[in-house]
Amino acid sequence: MGIQTVKIVILKDGAVAARAKEFSGFEPTKAAEQAFAEALKTAQISKQEVSQVLATGSGMDMAPYSNGTVSMMGADAKAGVFLFPSARTIVDVGAEEAIAVKCDERGIMLDFVVNERCAAGAGTFIEAMARALEVKLEDMGPLSLKAERASPINASCVIFGESDVVSLIHRQESKPEIARAVFDSMADRVSSMIHRLGINPDIALVGGVAKDVGFIESLKRKLGITILVPEYPEYSGALGAALTAASRAKGGQK
Amino acid sequence: MKKQNAEKKYLPEMPQKEIDELNNSIRVSSEKIMADNIARMKKTDAKRPAAMQYFDEIANFFGQREKEIQAEKAKGKKVIGYFCIFAPIELILAADAIPVRVNSGWYDSAKLGDRIVPVEVCPVIRSTIGAKMIGLSPYLELSDAVISTLTCDGMTKLSEILSDAKPVWTMTPPRVKDSAQSLQLWKEEIKAIKTQIEKLTGNKITAKKLKAAIESMQKASKAFRRLQDLRKGNPVIMGRDAMLANQVAMYDNIERWTQKIEALCDELEKRRDQKAWACSPDTPRVVVTGTPMFWPDNWKLPTLVEEATPQGLLVGDELCSSDRILYDPVGIDEWTMDDMINGIAERYLMASTCPCFTSKDGNEDRVNWLITKVKETKASGVIYYVIRGCMLYAMEYARVKRALDKLNIPVYYLDTDYTREDVGQMKTRIEAFLEMLAARVDF
Repeated sequence: MGIQTVKIVILKDGAVAARAKEFSGFEPTKAAEQAFAEALKTAQISKQEVSQVLATGSGMDMAPYSNGTVSMMGADAKAGVFLFPSARTIVDVGAEEAIAVKCDERGIMLDFVVNERCAAGAGTFIEAMARALEVKLEDMGPLSLKAERASPINASCVIFGESDVVSLIHRQESKPEIARAVFDSMADRVSSMIHRLGINPDIALVGGVAKDVGFIESLKRKLGITILVPEYPEYSGALGAALTAASRAKGGQK
Repeated sequence: MKKQNAEKKYLPEMPQKEIDELNNSIRVSSEKIMADNIARMKKTDAKRPAAMQYFDEIANFFGQREKEIQAEKAKGKKVIGYFCIFAPIELILAADAIPVRVNSGWYDSAKLGDRIVPVEVCPVIRSTIGAKMIGLSPYLELSDAVISTLTCDGMTKLSEILSDAKPVWTMTPPRVKDSAQSLQLWKEEIKAIKTQIEKLTGNKITAKKLKAAIESMQKASKAFRRLQDLRKGNPVIMGRDAMLANQVAMYDNIERWTQKIEALCDELEKRRDQKAWACSPDTPRVVVTGTPMFWPDNWKLPTLVEEATPQGLLVGDELCSSDRILYDPVGIDEWTMDDMINGIAERYLMASTCPCFTSKDGNEDRVNWLITKVKETKASGVIYYVIRGCMLYAMEYARVKRALDKLNIPVYYLDTDYTREDVGQMKTRIEAFLEMLAARVDF
């Protein structure tokens, strides 16, 4: 139950049977019901066949059909290790929040940090900056890769970030360079979160922002190590909840 | 008492109408919040000890205790307010005066403090300023003088600001605890405060009276420790209830409080024998350290922990607003005046684990106190709580985390402000942390 979108993952015999997503909008519960129905159709099963439903994310208390909840951090740890058995740090950058979780080989979280009440390290920031640059959100990443050098911006929040970007525009910096500056400043904040946990490889990047090549490149540069990115990073929270649901259904509390 | 200089340096002139309106609206909402907090505490522990009723009543800022102090004042007793727990309570009691702690826990008055100091300033300070501006805190209003220990930058300037409205007696704690000249300085500060107290009250602090006051506080410490010891076993009391009982000691009549704590402990022992636990014994046990939390508004962390899914239990803390208040008694070799003053000086300086101190090994005392607490209470994790603007606690985190990491004790840094708006975010974080602790307990 994300801030921007609701994601559903259905697991069958330990493998992903279906994924679906829907914009949260003003009625996240309804959006979740729709996505759920869609996922059931893809998986070709009925609602009665689903033995356990768990919700996670900021809107988890509004989730329909759910038997319980699990924290985002707990879900990310589970999903990260399921996707990449060697991962010990899972970084989740979503629309409004960035999380870094340290975990063990079972996907049990050992420590975590959350960005400090500010969207400058999260997806909304890219969106706002794309608006300021008058480019499409999905073009920001590829655009930033064309930059030849980095122009620093010192964004402490979305609002200040926007005024920083405007001053770069006034200095007639090119769009690729400004786009890269945006990703660099986000990667700065996210990498300092990871440093607070202690660098603990392998690092997996999940969440909606993990689809953005610009951010991935910036973060790799900052950390100086490779980052694992799954095929459907935005579904990791839902996947983690589904994995937790599966083990709870088997009788364990995990 | 002589009137303060007429010209105010900080506090603004406010129209009486505005003061009355603000006072009234914050007071009304505060009464609701206190009632709501207590209702929730009752709900969390279905068999909440009956002895808590007394502490609930004393905790009401606009109730029985305010009236009692008013009545004693009318009979000529003096009231001495204080901020940090460095104020030597024994000396106040020996002069037959009433000690009351006056740090503010009201969120709404912090917004008023913003009119005088920037929002970056610690909210405890801003809220206390705001409370003074509208006469919100009954105990601050009733105080004839306030002892302010200059533990941090905020406290230092707060003393200046408050002296616009009240006589403020400052005490300078040395920043290095363990040097010979430090204790010397502090002893002089204690003696100076003794003179001030005698002057205000007109009562001489005799050896006999001081001995009686020290003994009375020693009894209070003993009862206090008994309560904290009971929290070390299976849950016989929720952390919030214990915190409230602890905090009430700072404005209640200490002898009566001691009796009531003993009665509470008797009840808790019965509960223990009947195995009628306050919550499941498997509940993850949490210790809190960091910035003090004051009733009534700044009760959100303990509330969130003990109402979370999965639930947590506060088994202890390293807070100067709770488990540290009466932990240490004054130690006396011989009951001479000189020895008693020495004992008081040492107890208030050496036993403190305030982050305002440093020493050759840094603030090792605090780290050790915390680790001992975690071990004694068999806690599975620590929440490091900092309100924004509290530089000392924020900066000491890195060291405390490293020490806890070495012992494989999970710690989570939680920062917040005097606001209700971040409760949702705090909840997410606290629940994730408790989930993590619960997972560890099971393995």
